[in-house]
Amino acid sequence: MRANFPVRLGPAEDALIAQLKAAGADAAAERITVAGLPTRRVESYHYTDLKTLLRAIPPLATAANEASAPALRIPGAFNLMIANGAIQNAATAPAGVIVGKAEGGVLTTRDDVLVHINGALAKEALTLTLESSVDPVIQVERRVEGEAAHVADALKIFVADDASATIVETFSGSDAAHVGNHATYLSAGKNAVVTHITIDLSARAVSHFATNEYQLADGAKLRTLVIHAGAGLARTHVFPRMAGAGAHADLTGLNLVADGQHADITMETLHAVPHTSSQPLFKSIVRGRAKAVVQGKLVVARDAQKTDAKFMHQGLMLSDEAEILSKPELEIYADDVVCGHGSTCGMIDEDSLFYLMSRGVPKAEAETMLVRGFIAELFDPIEDEELNEALQGIVDGWLMNGQ
Amino acid sequence: MTTPVLEIRNLHARIDEREILKGVNLIIPPGEVHAIMGRNGSGKSTLSYVLAGKEDYEVTEGEILLNGANILEMEPDERAVAGLFLAFQYPIEIPGVATMTFLKAALNAQRKARGEEELKTPDFMRLVKEAGSQLNIDNDMLKRPLNVGFSGGEKKRAEIMQMALLKPSLAVLDETDSGLDIDALQVVSKGVNALRDGQRSMLVITHYQRLLNHIVPDVVHVFSDGKIVESGDKELALKLEAKGYASYGGEAA
Repeated sequence: MRANFPVRLGPAEDALIAQLKAAGADAAAERITVAGLPTRRVESYHYTDLKTLLRAIPPLATAANEASAPALRIPGAFNLMIANGAIQNAATAPAGVIVGKAEGGVLTTRDDVLVHINGALAKEALTLTLESSVDPVIQVERRVEGEAAHVADALKIFVADDASATIVETFSGSDAAHVGNHATYLSAGKNAVVTHITIDLSARAVSHFATNEYQLADGAKLRTLVIHAGAGLARTHVFPRMAGAGAHADLTGLNLVADGQHADITMETLHAVPHTSSQPLFKSIVRGRAKAVVQGKLVVARDAQKTDAKFMHQGLMLSDEAEILSKPELEIYADDVVCGHGSTCGMIDEDSLFYLMSRGVPKAEAETMLVRGFIAELFDPIEDEELNEALQGIVDGWLMNGQ
Repeated sequence: MTTPVLEIRNLHARIDEREILKGVNLIIPPGEVHAIMGRNGSGKSTLSYVLAGKEDYEVTEGEILLNGANILEMEPDERAVAGLFLAFQYPIEIPGVATMTFLKAALNAQRKARGEEELKTPDFMRLVKEAGSQLNIDNDMLKRPLNVGFSGGEKKRAEIMQMALLKPSLAVLDETDSGLDIDALQVVSKGVNALRDGQRSMLVITHYQRLLNHIVPDVVHVFSDGKIVESGDKELALKLEAKGYASYGGEAA
């Protein structure tokens, strides 16, 4: 039963409402006034109760006057930056890349508070049009710098028919208690081959929210990888739309959380037309008293026959206090599909550890090998060697912090 | 008298509340190959795990000396560095860890622990190639994840290759013949025999006499109900094969 009496609003909601009203987004402000931030009763926020977790919203960001060190350098990459919501000047773009600006609001409107807020507050969007195959990795650094700030920024990427590209987004900045609300829309043209990686490397005090929306045309091949390895509270909401026959998406992600952190990857894939496929594969590694969440929903439209999709989440607990929450959902309206889901969770395998140690490998190193092995199927398909090494470096750094 | 490579004194061990080893005594001098034979459930494999330091087992009494040093307080990796190698009856499959990566980590960890320089990649590759070629292990197999999808024979050959690379002073072979056909048994035995050099000692644990036609032991011990009940030369294995274990009492497995 849904309560009809008005919800009690907290300081975070009051601040959001004021910011939205000041931006002229009365409708978005009104929604929060009526419903408040989502609680566990809202299915897609079931394990990430924003009303409880988000206690304060800092003032809206002003222009960044300083810059922290880059959180991740990928050798040879073409770099772009959005700092405190503002697009920075970029170096000369490589062949095939057109860099531009557009108005904010890159996401499809849907019933989601973070989508509404981003649409209302992101003033400008960085646009990337990839007209042909792009050789260097494109890295978009999204920073929140200076005093604690609430930032909404947006990125829109078009990948032309038959083009291929690898785009990496990194999220970082100063170590103040920022709230980041980041939106990315990526459209992959016919037979395009795209890898899109988003890596949160924010400070512990940060609340990081990202919404990644994808649109795939006929024959497009997409690989996504979400890595949460920074913010105290991190949530990435992934919305792929399989809109063309023959489209395929490998949707992957990794939550790396330690003491006190909470990371959530929530995916909702729509198979909109016949003959599309997706392989969602997510992994969570939790150390200390921390929480990792993965929710995966596969929606198959009425006519989307021959859809082939299987969701998988595997959790590795490195402590007794670790918590891993997993929720698969299937919503299928077609009758000739192959869809499934699975979820596993466990500790480091003692027999494997003993085997490695019996060959002379010390315990800490053996554990590192096993954790790397656990992650291998997420990183192995990333063919760019320097990028692959950079990703491995993130995991190694995370493991070293725990020793 | 030279120090034995392995000396076990009155070893008692249990898992949970159940005592499995009930006073094992064994001395293996340098260069000798000893076989332990016994029926299933007699505690043979437990002995191999206790030697290698598996956590599940608790040693309640006795000593294990490896080249004169007590290893009971050592972690499994320290025992390996001290010269112990256990060839597993069921080698563990480890997805995501390439065989080559594992071999390099193991070899260099042992070298580092002994204060030796770590091997450079070309030198390491050469060593692996040499060891692999004698055991019909090709590059393709080395690129695969450790033991994953290996056949029974491939797993055992990979174990012996690890032994050849790590050059232990004591090799414990736990039912190395299980799951092997005749051809694979010959390849594995040849690999093991190539490592007999008059210094390295071996403890061959087996249920069947068959393996001992290929790896000929200096001494055969009969294991029953958690301890060694009879020792003799290789003829003892043949006698056991003919008569079975019944005369040693205890329940049939």
